Amino acid sequence: MTTNMAQMPALIPKEVEIQRLKKIWLIIIAMGSTAASVEVDNFVDGSLHQTSIRDSAFTPAHWWLYSHFITLPLGWAAAAMYDRKVPVLRGPNNSMNTGLKMTILGYLATMFTIGVNEMWHFWFVEEIFAVPNHWMFNMGVVVAFMGALAYVVRVYARLVELGAETPGENPYVAEMYKMALEGKLYSRAIP
Amino acid sequence: MTLPKGFGSGGAGGASSSDVERMIGKRVENMTGMITISYIAAWLATFGGTAAGYFYYPWAYPTPSGHFAFIVLTIIEAIGYLFCVKVMQEGSNKNSNGIVAGVIAATAIGTLFIVIFVGH
Repeated sequence: MTTNMAQMPALIPKEVEIQRLKKIWLIIIAMGSTAASVEVDNFVDGSLHQTSIRDSAFTPAHWWLYSHFITLPLGWAAAAMYDRKVPVLRGPNNSMNTGLKMTILGYLATMFTIGVNEMWHFWFVEEIFAVPNHWMFNMGVVVAFMGALAYVVRVYARLVELGAETPGENPYVAEMYKMALEGKLYSRAIP
Repeated sequence: MTLPKGFGSGGAGGASSSDVERMIGKRVENMTGMITISYIAAWLATFGGTAAGYFYYPWAYPTPSGHFAFIVLTIIEAIGYLFCVKVMQEGSNKNSNGIVAGVIAATAIGTLFIVIFVGH
């Protein structure tokens, strides 16, 4: 039988795993800063479109907005590649982690929507937030953030389990960590 | 413990401390230099981005709004930088508080300097 299963050890030394999880953490913090900055750009872009309807795809507000559609998928791809070195983060059947799958799927949708958006604005210059060409941007980002949150909680819960982080004191948060550790954060039916 | 090819003693025994070191590579608590350079690069890129706004599109991006975005982004980036260094060094005996304080103070002064003197 041929297989593409990663040739990973079943377990890795605790110290190695902590170091690898923290390297994933570094990528995630950098992407968190990027995501926070795009929240600012939502206002920059909004105020631009209050004054000029749509001059071109290449205004600073759009560079900023569109560059995060490139930066975050690349960052998550880096996380997904490095994630292979941490066996406990593997998804069902040694596949990619479910949270990472959702995140990448969400950002693929937003990347596709950049093209849809440009075609739409070729004919309709009005920048109304609720027009259909924008819908998949928002839905894609929501799916991506759901997956990202699940993955981040999973990484954090593992760091707690390894004794490298202090567990949450809030009982609801602690319950979420516990569910993540049991593989039940996404669904009770699909571990 | 099963180890990847090239590690351990050929099936017998577990990982030695040198195996562990080889599996880890560069330790995260020693990455402060790389993190600091990344932060400064991000800060300079932020200045470039906002400056492109108020130099090339002044009708859409008045200088004060560009400076406001620059200040807010500098704060976001500084928080990210601080988190990166502190999280990477927690639990170790490394301490780069002086470097972090110095770099954040320098970028704060640089931000003030840019806001006061550039683009007017």
